[in-house]
Amino acid sequence: MVENRHISITVNGERKEADVEPRMLLVHFLREIAGSTGTHVGCDTTNCGACTVLLDGRAVKSCTILAVQADRRKITTIEGLSKEPGKMHPVQKSFVDNHGLQCGYCTSGMIISAYWLLKHKKNVSEQEIREAISGNLCRCTGYDNIIMSIKDAEKRMEEEGDTLEEEQAVTVRK
Amino acid sequence: MDLSEKFVKGNGTFVDDIHMPGMLYLGFVRSPYPRAKIKKISGGITHKDVNFDIAAVGEGSEEEQTFSSTAHPVLAKDFVGYVGQPVAAVYSTDPYEAEDLIDSVEVDYEPLPGISDPEKAIDFEPINPASKSNVIVDRYFGKEFPDNVGDVVIEGRFVNNRIATNPIEPRGIVTAYDGDKLTIWIGTQSIYSIKSGICEAMHLPAEKVRVIQTDTGGAFGLKGGLFPEYVVAAWLAMKEKRPVKWIETRREHLMASRPGRGAIAKLKLYADRSGKIKGLKGEVLVDNGAFTGGSGEFSPAFIAMQLAGAYHLENAYVRARSVLTNKAPQGPYRGAGRPEAMFFIEKMMDHLADKLKMDPVDLRLKNAAEERYRSPLGFEVEPSKKFLEAAIKETGYRELSKKYNTGFSFLILYHATSGGESARIQVKDGRLKVWIGGNAHGQRHDVFSKTLINEELGVDESLVDFQLGDTDQIPAGIGAWGSRSAMVAGSAVLMAARMLREKVEKKYGKYSLNHLLGEEWDAYHNFEYSKMESSLGVNVVTADVDDLGKVKIRDCISYYDAGRVLDPANAAGQIAGGSVQGISQALYEELAFDEDGQPLTSSISDAGVATADLLPKFTIKYYKSESTLPSKAKGIGEAPTIGVPIALSRALEKAMGREFNETPIRPELLLRETAVQ
Repeated sequence: MVENRHISITVNGERKEADVEPRMLLVHFLREIAGSTGTHVGCDTTNCGACTVLLDGRAVKSCTILAVQADRRKITTIEGLSKEPGKMHPVQKSFVDNHGLQCGYCTSGMIISAYWLLKHKKNVSEQEIREAISGNLCRCTGYDNIIMSIKDAEKRMEEEGDTLEEEQAVTVRK
Repeated sequence: MDLSEKFVKGNGTFVDDIHMPGMLYLGFVRSPYPRAKIKKISGGITHKDVNFDIAAVGEGSEEEQTFSSTAHPVLAKDFVGYVGQPVAAVYSTDPYEAEDLIDSVEVDYEPLPGISDPEKAIDFEPINPASKSNVIVDRYFGKEFPDNVGDVVIEGRFVNNRIATNPIEPRGIVTAYDGDKLTIWIGTQSIYSIKSGICEAMHLPAEKVRVIQTDTGGAFGLKGGLFPEYVVAAWLAMKEKRPVKWIETRREHLMASRPGRGAIAKLKLYADRSGKIKGLKGEVLVDNGAFTGGSGEFSPAFIAMQLAGAYHLENAYVRARSVLTNKAPQGPYRGAGRPEAMFFIEKMMDHLADKLKMDPVDLRLKNAAEERYRSPLGFEVEPSKKFLEAAIKETGYRELSKKYNTGFSFLILYHATSGGESARIQVKDGRLKVWIGGNAHGQRHDVFSKTLINEELGVDESLVDFQLGDTDQIPAGIGAWGSRSAMVAGSAVLMAARMLREKVEKKYGKYSLNHLLGEEWDAYHNFEYSKMESSLGVNVVTADVDDLGKVKIRDCISYYDAGRVLDPANAAGQIAGGSVQGISQALYEELAFDEDGQPLTSSISDAGVATADLLPKFTIKYYKSESTLPSKAKGIGEAPTIGVPIALSRALEKAMGREFNETPIRPELLLRETAVQ
């Protein structure tokens, strides 16, 4: 048996520390230890994107990253996307207003991927949106309303002065 | 909080989000062989502990036949029939340890040759020791007729291969037992199927089981019935008096849940030279999988009975069989027999048109039913000509087909309205709580319920709290499947609202909102309905194929008779989502197996769930009508999975100049010879 490792991950601005098995997946740390159950597990193989979160600002699939690889790093989950507690981020609001969800299961990951796209690119075309979310599967909506939501979110973010971020180099610790 | 707002904030409560102190996590030891004898099992929970079978519950289970000898054991006894079949169970307080414990159970198997091809399985040795033959259903519909009824005959073999339902949320369950009552939390289409299934399998009285629906992350037919893992979770909670959780992995889903489709037809269509169809003859074969308890018992009949499509058909004679194969049992997948039946008849209509050098749409017009009649195969066909004429005009088919490779499908959707549905409205502290019998899993029944209540009672939608299913709150109901909910659940809500209005009127002489909201009221209505309704639809798809075999869909148009569209936004969402599943079935989706039954599909992407970058935008139009039900709605949930694969496959036939009689259309078939050289 490999010894547990003590790790500390900042989740939505709060430091979460625990002794974990080295094999623990980041998504399980987030769900079971940090209590962020808005991050979902869909496929276990990095195909569906339901587990997408931001790792030091970059969208990653938390089902194929070990919790120990995120040690001393910052994670943002769907619960921490909005800067004001209880309020919705413009991307979240536009998904509600444009019916960008049906069963709600893929939604968290989809919104995180959309947010990441909109933080890194201006004037996104429909095809760019389709490609950007091609790592997030939705079985309910047919994607039409999701694409509409993302286009609308871009406008709202601009209006709110939510600006682009510089691409950050992210290396996952081996 | 609005349901959408809850989900976008990550505040949903799906079954895996439930945590309880002392919770045990279940893991399953599964068969690695398609077919084998079990000689010995060392360790784990086995059939000696949990000696129950799974009975058919849920969609379609009202069929009269019973199949006790081929029933699915909760845990395998002396043989296994498919890869992934649960053989033993292990548990731990830690889910990672439960996964480890799976390897601690030793099972001594004696592998036997398996069979995955349903046509070959007909004459293969019986794979279930209790059966004399692998053919478990063999029925005839219609009446034999002479081959000379027509001048021309079209013959073909048509296949819809198996596909996984693949909701993004896998199956899962949480169970708890307080020494008297078993409580189950589950993502489901029907709390009643789960409850009656558990009670029947475990011989428990109804009052000792409560089933509560959690937020349900898609289902598409998968989550309507009972599965073996649920029984083990219930048994363990009762034995240990501790909460138990089991969550399916995607791999388990692909191996051991109940996939849909898996049907083959060999049919002949007879017609005169003018294109008037004269008769249909042949057979339908369903790939049942290794055990009953799914939908393979009744799907052959359900497919056969719909084979007249929306046409007038004088003569028909169809044999419908279901055969055991070394795969997981077949289950319902969005459409559940409807897409298969329409694919079979519509493909033949296209090929008959080709043979007669007619436009396929003119052939359809010639054969559309002018009056309601009962087809020789069993189902009633509604008058369809007027709708078809409107559809041709509204979809712009004539113009599109001049310019592009265009496919046209004409469908009749039989709604599972039979059985009706229930609803309860409780008024307390100035707010309304609403429950309906069928459990939504992405269709937003809350929206149409609030609309109907608002119209009937004048209650502002913000005062209505829509509830998830709970058998202690609403004792009876059916389930959400078969494009039924806007029709029967909508009607049940409306009738319950009318009951409240009458209660207020009776007490105060007339209805007023203040009287309703100022007191406590409770109304439960069981909307009884025994008839199966139907509605018509058309899909038009234009597409092209590039030199590398890549399909580019230009248009995907749906024109459906939805009756009164209660909730336009979510109706559009249903149609767009269903259209993607239709495209996906035609081009990408398949659960593949080797000859013995060893699965070859191991991830959700392998299984072919379509990604956003491959898809077109959807055009949605409605035929104006109203149903005769109180809600005035007609169901549409399954229409696109019926119509889109047919229309897309036809558009590709036009593009490639060859027939495509199977889904999925394999990529190598979309390469032109010039590209291969």
